[in-house]
Amino acid sequence: MVNLTIDDKQVTAPKTATIYEAAKMNGVNIPILCHDKKLKPFGACRMCLVEVEQMKGRQIPACTTPVTEGMIIRTSTPDIVKARKMVLELLLLNHPLDCPVCDKAGDCDLQNLTYEYKVDTNRFVDEKFHHEIDYNNPLIERDMNRCVLCGKCARICDEIVSFGALTFIDRGIETKIGCEFEDGLNCEFCGSCISVCPVGSLLARPFKFKARFWSLTKQKSVCGYCGTGCNLTLGVKDNKVLTTLYDENQGFHKGQLCVRGRFGYQFINSDKRLTSPLVRRNGRLIEASWEEALEVVAARLKGGNSVAALGSSRLTNEELTLFKKLMLENVGSSNFDHSAGYAHSALTSGFARSFGTTASPASILDIQKTDLLFVIKTDSYETHPVIGFEINMAVKNRGIKLNIISDKRGKLSKLPGANTFVHKPGSEVSVLNAIAKSILDDKLAVGSVDSVQGYAELAEALKAYTPEAVSALCGLTAEDIKKIAREYASADKALILFPIGQGYVSHNQEMSCAVANLSILTGKLGKEGCGVLCMSEKNNSQGAVDMGFFPRADGMNAQQILDACKNGSVKTLFVAGENPIVSYPDKSKVTTALEAVEFLIVSELFMTETAAMADVVLPACSFAEKDGTFTSTDRRVQYVSPSIRKNSNCKTDFEIFSALISKLGGQTPVSSSLLFSEISSNTDGYAGMTHVSLRKESAFASVNVKPKLIVPKASAAVSSEPGKLAMVTGSALYHSGTLSQFGEGPMHVCPEAYVEMSRKDAANLKIHDKDIVTVSSPTGSLKLNVKVTARIPEGLVFVPYHFSAAPVNAIWDGAPVTMVSLTK
Amino acid sequence: MSDVVAQKTEEQEPEVDLSIADAIIDKYIDIPGNLMPVLQAAQDEYGYIPRTVADHIAERLNVYPSQIYGVLTFYAQFHLKPRGKFIIRVCVGTACHVQGAPRIVETFFDKLGIGHAETTPDLRFTFEKVACLGACGMAPLAMVNDSTYGAMTVQKVDDIVADYQQRPLK
Ligand code: SF4
Ligand code: SF4
Ligand code: SF4
Ligand code: FES
Ligand code: FES
Repeated sequence: MVNLTIDDKQVTAPKTATIYEAAKMNGVNIPILCHDKKLKPFGACRMCLVEVEQMKGRQIPACTTPVTEGMIIRTSTPDIVKARKMVLELLLLNHPLDCPVCDKAGDCDLQNLTYEYKVDTNRFVDEKFHHEIDYNNPLIERDMNRCVLCGKCARICDEIVSFGALTFIDRGIETKIGCEFEDGLNCEFCGSCISVCPVGSLLARPFKFKARFWSLTKQKSVCGYCGTGCNLTLGVKDNKVLTTLYDENQGFHKGQLCVRGRFGYQFINSDKRLTSPLVRRNGRLIEASWEEALEVVAARLKGGNSVAALGSSRLTNEELTLFKKLMLENVGSSNFDHSAGYAHSALTSGFARSFGTTASPASILDIQKTDLLFVIKTDSYETHPVIGFEINMAVKNRGIKLNIISDKRGKLSKLPGANTFVHKPGSEVSVLNAIAKSILDDKLAVGSVDSVQGYAELAEALKAYTPEAVSALCGLTAEDIKKIAREYASADKALILFPIGQGYVSHNQEMSCAVANLSILTGKLGKEGCGVLCMSEKNNSQGAVDMGFFPRADGMNAQQILDACKNGSVKTLFVAGENPIVSYPDKSKVTTALEAVEFLIVSELFMTETAAMADVVLPACSFAEKDGTFTSTDRRVQYVSPSIRKNSNCKTDFEIFSALISKLGGQTPVSSSLLFSEISSNTDGYAGMTHVSLRKESAFASVNVKPKLIVPKASAAVSSEPGKLAMVTGSALYHSGTLSQFGEGPMHVCPEAYVEMSRKDAANLKIHDKDIVTVSSPTGSLKLNVKVTARIPEGLVFVPYHFSAAPVNAIWDGAPVTMVSLTK
Repeated sequence: MSDVVAQKTEEQEPEVDLSIADAIIDKYIDIPGNLMPVLQAAQDEYGYIPRTVADHIAERLNVYPSQIYGVLTFYAQFHLKPRGKFIIRVCVGTACHVQGAPRIVETFFDKLGIGHAETTPDLRFTFEKVACLGACGMAPLAMVNDSTYGAMTVQKVDDIVADYQQRPLK
């Protein structure tokens, strides 16, 4: 700590603080324009000038100058006020001052400072800027006429997003912000640049002319897309969510969002939302009252074991718990599951065996605290973009090492010093086993490891996985494998990350055991910056697991439920929020099953392909209309309260399940808060949590690990077929599950499925970027747009799932790797 | 697919020979701070920095394409369009201005059919106005590549253009 005087007050501040930070800590606000606490100091705007007595009263920028012992600082002498006024006058000189039509008005640093410093005249005259406004992309309007050249947009896009779309172009008075060769913006559309722009140069187009900033009610919420669990501030007016607002203090991610979180909110107030219960009569879905619809449903639920349920991991913990109660206690069936039955197996069957718990022994916060990040699949960026930002910052700002094994390269591969080891698709378990084997052979395991349960069996089983043997089938060299093992084992702290989800079949229980083994063998467990983070797909995937919404020994899993629908042993299927027709593998199998089942109940926001087949459709509510808790991938339990009133005649799934329980003669919970109290006393790690406590602050559910070494079974190597390419599926950056299809933002920038392929294969097959090709597999064929990219290795093609219009499950039956052929 | 696509994708077949760029990149790849020397060498070889070359350098050196463009537009030494074999520069500094530089400039425009910072379609001439060339005694001043022409007149413009029209392009 150093002692200093700020505006005649004796204060102290940490040695590392800048004058700006020291003042802020001590309640003195120095105006800033180009400074942002998330970014490296820049010192360009000179708004933050202060006087330091030791520097002969010279005016120096507070945002870049570190404090020193005994400094005497004055932050607002008449001279400084004059200097700041001058800075503002110069900025306003070329600025269009079109505040009446600028969406930033009311939230604009330039406007606020101009007001604060009473700059009502300008001593200078000059022409206004005449830059062309960029309307070339659907999401971000760029009006460089309003720009104050603070560089924050370009800096955040580099330092945090690591995309680097924006830069300073030209020099001197001509300087402006833009993209290479003056192109339109074509980026991740995370909107980070919008959020830090102090003026109205970068604006969200979907919000244009929707409402004035000051007329919005700001509602805190939690993103309804992926398992990262980002916090959101929704801008609400007239019961409509009109935009998302930036709050630099919100959440572990400090307000950073990805394209889905920032621009994908439109599904909430979409006019495609279902507004009335529908009951099928004479083959057609006809509007019905809630009473009628629930009566029909309740009657059909009295079928014991012939009833089955598929729930969505986007429902709240309270809803999933209630759904489970309804099934177990009132219907009398243990046939319920979620996420196609396999997308949670890494937790429910993998970690359950390896760690004795169904949660990850690591949190997102460990990313900045580790020495080495070991990422499985570059797709981790696409599936969880804000976790991707954390990885970017760890590698770029802290020099944390990054090793990746993946079947393709990706954005993470471009980080400085990142090593991407590209292996053949489907061979991840073999690679991980070979790494384990190498750890044992090279004596890199911790001394006490032979006392861990399962050690002998594992050591024996790994004999088949020498790096040399695995090298032949996975495409990595034995030396690569040994190097990965060495670096992982010898790092003081190392953290493994891998995504799971419906697109990642091979990230199953076997793989998670193989990953767990590495952490157990090397003792990278139970310490800060260590462990394994299994990145669960949807906003409440971890919650669905914690609530036990998956089959126990006596219940059927999702795939068995579909089989049973087909063979008639399941007669009633209740689907809440899932869209198996599009998101489960093997479309024709799912369609046959849903056609065969006697009675199909669907609760949904939209008339999805699955809802269209239902006998009763119940209009449900989005996350913004209900209260309850979501559990993020690292088991942060967060409370959401309704941001808006329920959409027209919709009911929350909580209300739907409650009504059905009562119709079946059961005891309905008084409120979701009371139900949550029950949950917290019954759920491992949730003890002590209540809605009241979570409303104040989210809490981590503790994870208690009992390590055990398990022998992971590698699936057979995929044999290549001449003339065919190996297809893998997964997530696209702009989407999450099938819900983002109803978010206009994501659909503006990534509206359709595509097939991504290597330059080599494209050249061989004489296929060009943007061509349309037919992709055929043994189960079907699909017309897709081609994207030729540098990141895909020869022999591989990638097709994202998510899309109803070109569903990958028409050509994919759930195999980790599918051999396909491409024809023009 | 909309015009805005998910990820940067391939440009159509480049018209320039990227192996020249590759040779340059190979030479500098392991040297820290290699962006400037690579861009300079590329400009020497190609005469300007074609877009495909900039994109290729970005990919191979793992820098943002935007960053390369920032550098290319910051330094006057880089050119983004093909340049003529003969670069005609006319000084418009104060001394030359007073001595009639504007008429000289206009006459070049008329004769060549191009304006400032433009190149004739046959890639013979590029015309540029420049600030004081430091030889005010010779005002008004023009230069063609490295040759200096002082005390310019309208007649001399005709002569210079006629002279360089004759010279071989290759
Ligand atoms: S939207 Fe995101 S990726 Fe695009 S320019 Fe802005 S910060 Fe960069
Ligand atoms: S566009 Fe906004 S954030 Fe970017 S430099 Fe200009 S004022 Fe700053
Ligand atoms: S989709 Fe995931 S990463 Fe993106 S904002 Fe929402 S929670 Fe965050
Ligand atoms: S805020 Fe300090 S120079 Fe801009
Ligand atoms: S003004 Fe032309 S050479 Fe100086």
